[in-house]
Amino acid sequence: MAFLRRIVFLLAALMALHGEGLAQSGKVYRVGLVIAGAPDTGMLGPGMVSNFTKRGYVVDKNIVFERRAAQGKVDRLPGLIDELVAAHVDVIITSGYPAALAAKQRADDIPVVATQTGDPVATHLVESLAHPGGNITGVSEVATELSAKRLALLKETVPSVHSVAVLWNADDLGMTLRYQAAEAEAKRSGMLIVPLGVHAPDDFDTAFSEMTKTPPDAIMMVTDSLTILNRKRVMQYADEHRLPAIYEFAFLVHDGGLMSYGPDVDAINDRAAGLADRILKGAKPADLPLELPTRFQFAINLKTAKTIGLKIPESILLQADDVIE
Amino acid sequence: MSVGDPGSTSRPRRPLFYKYFVALFVAVVVPLLVNGASEAWFGYRDQRATLSSRLHAEAISAAGKIAAFLDDITDQLQWTVQLPWRDGMEERHRFDVLRLMRQVPAVVEVMLVDGDGVERLHVSRVDPDVVDSRIDRANDPAVLGARSDRIWYGPVTLHEGSEPYMTIAVAGSRAANGVTVAVINLKLIWDVITAIHVGRSGDAFVLDHSGRLVAHPDISLVLRGDDDPAAASLKELQRATIGGETADATDAQHRTVIAAMAPIAGPDWMAFVEQPASEALTPIRAALWRTGFLLLAGAVFAALLGYLLARRMVGPIRLLEAGAERIGAGRFDHQIAISTGDELERLATRFNEMARELALSQERSERIARLKRFLAPQVAELVEEHDQESLLDSHHTEVVVIFCDLRGFTSFSEAAAPEDVMGLLQEYYEALGAIITRYEATLTCFMADGLMLLLNAPVPCPEPALRGVHMALDMQAAVQGLIGGWRARGYTIGFGVGLAKGPATVGRIGYEGRSDYTAIGSIVNLAQRMCASADDGQILIDPTLAAEVAEVIALQPLGTRPLRGFADAVPVFAVRERAAEVAAPHSS
Repeated sequence: MAFLRRIVFLLAALMALHGEGLAQSGKVYRVGLVIAGAPDTGMLGPGMVSNFTKRGYVVDKNIVFERRAAQGKVDRLPGLIDELVAAHVDVIITSGYPAALAAKQRADDIPVVATQTGDPVATHLVESLAHPGGNITGVSEVATELSAKRLALLKETVPSVHSVAVLWNADDLGMTLRYQAAEAEAKRSGMLIVPLGVHAPDDFDTAFSEMTKTPPDAIMMVTDSLTILNRKRVMQYADEHRLPAIYEFAFLVHDGGLMSYGPDVDAINDRAAGLADRILKGAKPADLPLELPTRFQFAINLKTAKTIGLKIPESILLQADDVIE
Repeated sequence: MSVGDPGSTSRPRRPLFYKYFVALFVAVVVPLLVNGASEAWFGYRDQRATLSSRLHAEAISAAGKIAAFLDDITDQLQWTVQLPWRDGMEERHRFDVLRLMRQVPAVVEVMLVDGDGVERLHVSRVDPDVVDSRIDRANDPAVLGARSDRIWYGPVTLHEGSEPYMTIAVAGSRAANGVTVAVINLKLIWDVITAIHVGRSGDAFVLDHSGRLVAHPDISLVLRGDDDPAAASLKELQRATIGGETADATDAQHRTVIAAMAPIAGPDWMAFVEQPASEALTPIRAALWRTGFLLLAGAVFAALLGYLLARRMVGPIRLLEAGAERIGAGRFDHQIAISTGDELERLATRFNEMARELALSQERSERIARLKRFLAPQVAELVEEHDQESLLDSHHTEVVVIFCDLRGFTSFSEAAAPEDVMGLLQEYYEALGAIITRYEATLTCFMADGLMLLLNAPVPCPEPALRGVHMALDMQAAVQGLIGGWRARGYTIGFGVGLAKGPATVGRIGYEGRSDYTAIGSIVNLAQRMCASADDGQILIDPTLAAEVAEVIALQPLGTRPLRGFADAVPVFAVRERAAEVAAPHSS
């Protein structure tokens, strides 16, 4: 009986080999990239392309990117998704909750890899991390809980901080959840949150004038395409008013922000490309669980600290992964 | 090797050609098959053994790498339990933890418990730090485990139903140093597991003791949680490999693989390596193809060989068959040409010889049959045997001529029924024929009841005169015996014999295919007249004969009688009886 089984097994193995030899077809894959922010930022930068080339793709030979940026105008996203559908892309990678939602609603036969959506389970973008369901998968950010951690780090850096102005894109449900998490933590630790929700780039003027009217002790910028679009203005305002500010991603600290704590965006984009690669090779999004970021970066810009006259405690420097001097 | 005249014989039911062909083919192919199959089987087993030991080595190596990953974490955790919990040391402990978190990305959160089992610090990558919560953790299994074993590995749990986490607790060398409880994100083993390659496309994965997938190069499989079908197939694989055997199984990607397992001692996990069967068995497959090809070539060769040999064997046999058929049909001149140098050639030679002998024999028997028409069988064979047909040539010689016939036969034959006539003649000739044969007399002709016989021609015999008289006596005695019976039936028939001796011309007369031997001369007439002149029971002889036999045969001179065709009356003698001392000659 064991002998017979081995024979059958051997035959199966021989047949498997036969299938293995099939050459990959000369298909050119089309990848749609959608962000709510400005072109050539975030995911639309060169980093994403290299995530694909290192997986064996050659641009314009077997992969073509369709880049779409809403320039901060969230209501343009559905139209951009429609454009990608018309361009017959094989997979859509989105950044931000509104883009993911638009893609989920309007491109239901095209697989979607969503990034930077906050907590996609809480926003009902997916059913669960392990089994996202539907045609969508992606990388979650643990970003909701991190708002509390950021607030704690801000407090540890500047123990005198009491009121914190929170800037966030109020049109983005994911970002709103982050704001709410910050508010809960503030309540717990006896701090005060000044909510400054924005909807459009123009709203920032209003936000700034609010802060000028009642100056907070620090700023927390919930980071999405809209706020990234106006990052320079936020940093400039913080510098001018010598306000310590915390952001979510390290690149904002490199751009002049004081500090940031959050998942490694490059790693997130790399994982998103990894998922898209799996989908292009035939995997179904429903079979690909959402991934959580494994690496978090705490970045501090000592130049900015100097500018606003802030002394960074030793325990904070010890935790920093990325210190700009 | 064309076979002549095949139409006359039907095809054999099981031709020899196919028997030879099949026998030769089988004789070559069966040993070839047996050899090939056994070679393939033993080769397969050897290769499997090699493969098995290689995969085991790979599994042990993979288990070592996973264990090293965990050892690295526990080593780093050890740094946080080096100092005892004393007042004013809280900051030092916190710095140890922050350094640990910087150093070991897999650590998601750390809880420090002091020597009294009270939670002093909780640091998380996600949540704000909690200092001095003073929660009693003394009965926490992690704390208890670490206190008894120094290092404690918790079960694998799924964070948010997806990511595999595990708690590791380490205790310091002194109880006062407390216990560090760390939550580890096992997803980071991914870096280790993806670096393990088995062959070209084989890989490794890790299951905990309950079969939960801890690490796999396809991170999605790990993140899918427990209720995934792929996880079930891996559990199946785990069952198959327990006991140290490599197993043939189906992996999570539905590939047919060969897998081996090695245990990871600390957390009671198992490291598996798997290699697609198609790849792992490539050398085996190559060997099998080779064997198969050789078998095929051998079979083709055997078929060719069988065909040629069978043809070579059957060809001469068919020639023999055809030859035998022709010879049987009487064509004795047919020659079977076989030059195979073996028994078949000898057999063909025998056939040819047989045909020649048959031809000779037939010729001879034809000649004998011809001679037997007038010669006694033994004389005929003598003539034939000595090839003395020249004896039959015409020549002048001294002969004894004997005539005999029945008296009253003509009137009887007219009165009697034909079957009675023929029956009587039959008895008559049978009686005379035996005597004629015995005395080796030559029968020249017979006509109804009359016979003419010759002695001393064509074959000379000793004392022909005496022999003739004896024969006549025997004939008379035999026929008289019959006459007794006939008379009883009311037939009045007699029998007379006449003999004469003298020179005559003897030889064959007649035409092609119908020739008789006869004698011509007055002596023939004389014998005929003597017979005609004889009464029933009488044997009459001429003076020449009488003079020759007078010494041994009692004769009665009957004086002279005028005979038709003879100018003078001829002296006639009647034979009375033979002298007692003279025996009848035996047939020779």
